Amino acid sequence: MRLMWSQGAEFSFREGEFFGREEELTTLLRVGLEGRSGIGASVLIYGPPNVGKTSLLLKAKADLQSLPEGSALPRPFPFYYSFSKILSHPLALSQHFLQEYMWQLLVFLGEEPQAAFDPEAMCEGLGGHGLGGCRDFVTAHRKYSDAGDGLSALANAFSFPFTTGGKDFYPVFLLDDFQYTIKLQSIPDGAIFSILRPYIKSGHFPMIVSGSSPGHVTSSLKREGLYGSFQLIEVGGLSPEASARMWASLFERRQIRMPDHLLPRAAERLGHVPIYQRMFTEDLSFRNAQVTDEVGFENLYALSVTEGKLNRYWREFFENAFPSRARRARAIRFLKRVLVDHFPIDSFEGALSLMGAPPEEGAEVLSTLEFKGLIKSDFEHIEFVNDPVLADFLYWAFERGVLGKSPSQAAAGIVQAKLSRTALEAGGNEREKRAAVVKQLMRRWDCREVPAILFDFERFREKFGGKGLLEVVIGLGDEPDKVRLPKISSVSTGYRTGRGGARFDFDLVAYGFLDADFSEESLVIWAVDVSVERTLAKPEIEHFENRCRLLSLEKGLKETQLRKWILFDGSVEPAALELAARAGIHLTHGSQVRLFLNLFGMDEIEQAAPPRPAPEATAAAQPLEFELVLPIKGETEVVAARVAEEVAAYASLDKDTVDRLKMAIIEACINAFEHSGSESGKVRLRYVLSPQKIELFVEDDGKGFRAGAAGSEPQRNRGWGLKLIRELVDDVDVITGDTGTTVRMVKHFGRDMATDVAKAPDAGE
Amino acid sequence: MSYLTVDSREVNGIPVLYVNGYLNSLLGEEIERVIQNLVNDGGQRVLLNFAGTRLINSIGISFIIGVVERMTERNGMIAFCSLAPTNRELFQITGVTRYVKSFETEDEALAYLGRAF
Repeated sequence: MRLMWSQGAEFSFREGEFFGREEELTTLLRVGLEGRSGIGASVLIYGPPNVGKTSLLLKAKADLQSLPEGSALPRPFPFYYSFSKILSHPLALSQHFLQEYMWQLLVFLGEEPQAAFDPEAMCEGLGGHGLGGCRDFVTAHRKYSDAGDGLSALANAFSFPFTTGGKDFYPVFLLDDFQYTIKLQSIPDGAIFSILRPYIKSGHFPMIVSGSSPGHVTSSLKREGLYGSFQLIEVGGLSPEASARMWASLFERRQIRMPDHLLPRAAERLGHVPIYQRMFTEDLSFRNAQVTDEVGFENLYALSVTEGKLNRYWREFFENAFPSRARRARAIRFLKRVLVDHFPIDSFEGALSLMGAPPEEGAEVLSTLEFKGLIKSDFEHIEFVNDPVLADFLYWAFERGVLGKSPSQAAAGIVQAKLSRTALEAGGNEREKRAAVVKQLMRRWDCREVPAILFDFERFREKFGGKGLLEVVIGLGDEPDKVRLPKISSVSTGYRTGRGGARFDFDLVAYGFLDADFSEESLVIWAVDVSVERTLAKPEIEHFENRCRLLSLEKGLKETQLRKWILFDGSVEPAALELAARAGIHLTHGSQVRLFLNLFGMDEIEQAAPPRPAPEATAAAQPLEFELVLPIKGETEVVAARVAEEVAAYASLDKDTVDRLKMAIIEACINAFEHSGSESGKVRLRYVLSPQKIELFVEDDGKGFRAGAAGSEPQRNRGWGLKLIRELVDDVDVITGDTGTTVRMVKHFGRDMATDVAKAPDAGE
Repeated sequence: MSYLTVDSREVNGIPVLYVNGYLNSLLGEEIERVIQNLVNDGGQRVLLNFAGTRLINSIGISFIIGVVERMTERNGMIAFCSLAPTNRELFQITGVTRYVKSFETEDEALAYLGRAF
C-alpha cells in the first residue's frame, strides 16, 4: 500500500525552479481565496504534456499554504491529488483518495501522521480537530470494498472532503491529470464528474482541475452539463522573460555559462518549456559542457535530443503511451510527417488517410495521442501540439528506426536543418487568405466541366492577354478543351508553423475522386501552392516539383493521380513557365482564379469583405427564419425533415431539392445526436429562407468528438454522415466552438452556369 | 410513430420485400432480419421495392450494404426497384449500386431476377 502514496507529490516540485505564469497563478489564488467567503469557482487547466501544469498546481498549493501568519480564518486547505499514479480499479482509487485526503489534512492541521495507512488512527487524529464524521466514511468504504461495489466506494470517498472544513479551514481542490479518470475499469466515462457535479454546481468549493486531454475532459464536462461552470486556462510555454530568468537560476546553481545573447534563442529552441530547460541543463552539467556560441548550443541540444535526457524523456513517453511496438512505430511515423515534414493535416479524415492504418487502429492511435495531449481535436478538425523538441525527437526516431541511422548522424541532421534554415515563410497572411479561398473553391468542384485554359496560364495569356473580362468570359464559352473536375472529398490547408527548415508541405492538399467514383483507381490528389511573390521564379517551381515527387513516392501515386497546381498573382519568369510546362504543373494566375470563382458563383468570397447581404437581397423581403428544438430521442430527426419540407414549400422548391434537404438535415441531426454526448440534451435547428438560398443550421451543445470510443453505434456507418451531407447540399460548414457544434448547410436556388456567366461583366472588373 | 414495416410477397418464386417508411436503423434491422430468414431457408434471390421509402439515412444504408454483402457471399442475387431519385443518388454515393442492379419498375426487376435462373 505504501507504494501508492504520493503524499502530495511535493517531493518532485521545487518551488525555487518555478518561474513565470503570474497571470495563471493570480487566477488560481483568487479562486482559492474566494472559498473563504463560500464562493467556489471552477477552473479547467489544459495543455500539452510536460508543459508545467502540475508545477502550476503545486505552486498554487504552496502559495495557498504559506499565507502570512494571522490571515483571516478560515484558512484554505489546498488538497492536491493526481490521478495519474493510481490503479485504474475504482476500489483502489477510492481508498487511495480517501487516505490521501486524510493524510494531507492531518499534515495541514499540524499533525505528523504515520506513513502507513491506518484509517482508525487517522480518524482519531481528525476527530481531535472536531472532524468526527470520518469514521462513517471509513466504515462505508470497507463495506463497499467487501461488496466489490466500486462506484459506491468512489461516491463515498469523493464525498468525504466536502463534509470537512468549517470555521478554521476550507478545502481547495487541485485535481491533476484528470483525463485518467475516464480510464477507470467498469465505471462509466465521467463518473467522477457525476459524483462531483452537485458540489461543483453548489458553487461553494473552489475546484481546479487539470488535464492534458481537453477533448476527453471537456466532453465529459459537457455530458454533465458542467461545461459552462468552468473557466478554461490553456497553459503553453513560459514567457520569454520567465524562460530567461529560469536559465539564469538553473545555470547559476550548476555553474554553467551561456552567452547572454544566446539565452532567448536557446529558450525558444526548447519551446519555452520549463522541464526541457531543466533537462537540458542537467545534460550540460552531466557532460561538463559549456555553451560558447550558436553552433555549440545546437550541437549540445542535438546530443540531448538524440541520446541525452530529452531523448529519454520522449522515448519513455511513447513507450508508455504505445506499449505495442508496431503501433508505436506507426504513431511516430505519423507524427513525424506532421510535425517534422509539416504535412498539412487539419482534418480527422486526412489524419487517418495519412496514417495509412486500418480506420479502427488509426482512430485508436489518434485517440491515444489526444489522451496524451499531443492533439487537440473536435468534430472535424484536428490540431497538433507545436513542440520543437518533440519534432526533433521524432526526426531522430524516424531516422534511426526507419532509416537505420546512428544517433550522431541524426544529430548532425538536426543541426544542419537548423543552421541552414531559409526564410521561406514569407507572406504568411496573404497566402493563408488566398489558400482559404481556393479551399472553398475546390469544395465546390463536384465533377463540373471547366475550360482547360483556366489551368494553363501561358495559353490563357496568349489568347486573352489584355482583353476585358467580358470578352474573356464570352471567349471561354467557345473553348473546346474542357477539364472535368473531380469530386473533392477532403481538402486541408497547410499546417504552418513558425519553425524554419526546408519546406515539405503544400498550401493545400485535396483528395478527390474522378467522376464521383469512390474507388481506389479514381482517387486523385491535388497538391496546391499559393505563391505571393511578385515574380514566380524557377527555383520556386523546382522546389514545388521536388515536393510533389516526394509526395508521389511516399503515397505510391501513379503519375496521373497527382495533380500539381500553383496559383500566383504577379508576373512569371519565362524559365519558370517552361519548367512548369515540362513538369506538368498547372499554373493559374489571379485573373484566372477570379474567372473560376465567377464560374462557381462565389466571386464575393475573394473580396474577403465582411459578409454583406447580396444586392438583390437587401431590396427584397427579409429572410424568413424558423426555429425548432428537438429532443435527442428516437426518430425525432424525422420531425426536423418534415419542418424542412414545410419551410421549403414557401420557396416552391422542386421535390428533388426538398428530398435532398430532408436527407441532409436528417444526417446532420443524427450526427448531432451521436456526437453531442448527451442523452437528455437537445438539438437546435434554424431554417433561414431567403430569395437566393435556404440555410439550415443544426446546433448541439456538445463537443463533437470522433476519436473516442465508438460506443454502441454500428461501426460501419461512421464518418458517412458528413460525406452524404456534402453531396446533398451546396455548402457545408462545421463550426465547433466552446458552446457546441453547429453544422451549416446551404442550398442555393436556381443557380446554373448560364446565369453566373451572364452576370460576369458587372462582377467588379 | 411507427415507420417500420416490411411487407413481402412472392412473385414467380421470387420474394419481393416492400420497404415502407423511413429507412433508419430500425427498419434496416428489420430488413436484415427478414432477409436473414430468407437466406436461412435457402433463398437465393430477393427484390427490394423502395416505392414506399421516401427517407433514408446513412445508418439505414449501412444495413442495406450488410444485406447486399450477405447475399453476395452466398452467390445470391439482389435487386432494387422503384427508388426515388434522391435515394438512388444516395445509393450511388455510398457505392451500393456498384453491387446491385436497380430498376425503375418491379416488372423489369423481376424479369432480371427471373432470367438469372
